[in-house]
Amino acid sequence: MNTILVWLIKVLIIYGGLLGTAALMTLAERKVSAWIQHRKGPNRVGPCGILQPLADGVKLFFKEEVLPAGANRLLFRFAPALTALPAMMTVAVIPFGGELELFGITTKLSIADLDIGVLYILAVGGLGIYGIILGGWASNSKYSLLGGLRASAQMVSYELSMILAIVAVIAVTGSLDLREIAQAQAAFTDWNIWRQPLACGLFVVTMFAETNRHPFDFAECEPELVGGFHTEYSSMKFGLYFLGEYSAMVVMACLATTLFLGGWSVPFVPEAHWLLGLAAFMAKTACFLFLYIWVRWTLPRLRFDQLMGLGWKVMLPLALLNLFITGALLSLTGA
Amino acid sequence: MVNILFYICAVAAIASALGVVSARSPINSVLSLLGTFFSLAVIYLLAGFQFMAAIQILVYGGAIMVLFLFVIMLLNLGNPEQVAQADPLFKPGRATGVALAVSGAALLLGLLAAHALPADHLSPVPAGSGRAMIETLADAIFGKYVLPFEVASVMLLAAAVGVLVLAKRERPGLLDTEAEDNR
Repeated sequence: MNTILVWLIKVLIIYGGLLGTAALMTLAERKVSAWIQHRKGPNRVGPCGILQPLADGVKLFFKEEVLPAGANRLLFRFAPALTALPAMMTVAVIPFGGELELFGITTKLSIADLDIGVLYILAVGGLGIYGIILGGWASNSKYSLLGGLRASAQMVSYELSMILAIVAVIAVTGSLDLREIAQAQAAFTDWNIWRQPLACGLFVVTMFAETNRHPFDFAECEPELVGGFHTEYSSMKFGLYFLGEYSAMVVMACLATTLFLGGWSVPFVPEAHWLLGLAAFMAKTACFLFLYIWVRWTLPRLRFDQLMGLGWKVMLPLALLNLFITGALLSLTGA
Repeated sequence: MVNILFYICAVAAIASALGVVSARSPINSVLSLLGTFFSLAVIYLLAGFQFMAAIQILVYGGAIMVLFLFVIMLLNLGNPEQVAQADPLFKPGRATGVALAVSGAALLLGLLAAHALPADHLSPVPAGSGRAMIETLADAIFGKYVLPFEVASVMLLAAAVGVLVLAKRERPGLLDTEAEDNR
């Protein structure tokens, strides 16, 4: 009974946290863009505009829903959920902290500890692309179709480099379990960003491509494709796409924190209190989330051929090289 | 509980596999194939092969099917029925194809039956590390079940050759469009 209750509370807190962070990210995006462009940004709804995401959500719910002529009814309705669902499923295996004891109950700060946590995130997270492809196809619009096509080509090209970058980390740690990967980086000097700097860089770049963010947001690409895959979407279906995109960003940031920045480890404070560890985890994740926004409002979008060239001619060879060096060093040192 | 889940997934896998070959629109075929892969992944999970399930979703669900969708959407094939009816070899070809497919399936099933699945094939794999599980898997595929495994790969190869034949356009037609482009 107690275990079920504890588990239920963890699920509620972690999913609530994910959705809350995703909603706040929409506000942060506008606030940071305003700051970068010397504007004020949303500041009318609530103190400092903090209630803006809520107002946006309510507005989306009351918008008219449009089903375009000639659209595939089933897939058109189903596609947004297909994007949002995998992003929310992946957060289940992220370890937010070590063991903690509260009210006499000892538990770990994650919903599930899988032996194959990394594979689970890659497998389930990769399914989010179906929502974009199928949504683009089902809309019966050439702009949407082109957006979906680009998304699929981009996804296949960059997922390979991402997996190879992660494989190098796995080789160093010797485990597919995210909790073990984080525990192996308990000391500040053991963080994978120092041991695998190239893999870290590759992961961060592919992270942008996998979540369809600037400068790789070719699925959307508003100057050429109107709105890309979501051109025909309105109301809360459009909202679901956004929720999915921002949730995927949050999960990717959490994954990057776990893989490269030592998860919940606090620099120079061994055996830190679990609250401090959780705060450290959130601060590191926030850095990656800020990077997402910072890059979006700094770099221009690539051209599509540049995107493919970068994926196949730069990222993939670098990832292979990194894996080769890692493997060679590991076998030479006999680790 | 595990048994009920297994039968649900098995029926779903077979039903969506039938959907792959019977669906008119290629997109529906791809989605049915995706359904098959997911059902199989759940069956792997029920058998305790977490690794296999994750790889199944990652490789087939995440990469290969996305590529399929990409190609289908890019080619945007016309109505397959019309293309098929115009071909004089369509009807005899279909009959031969069905006969070959049925005999291939019979061969595969016969081989599997000859190897007699153990009675406890639904029980979880003996506990062990991920490495032990993968070794068990490799032993099963390349040791005991190597013959059914190879037959399945030959059938896949036959399907690939079939796709090549179907997708190959007539030379004159190709030249015509080229001439039109040059005009």
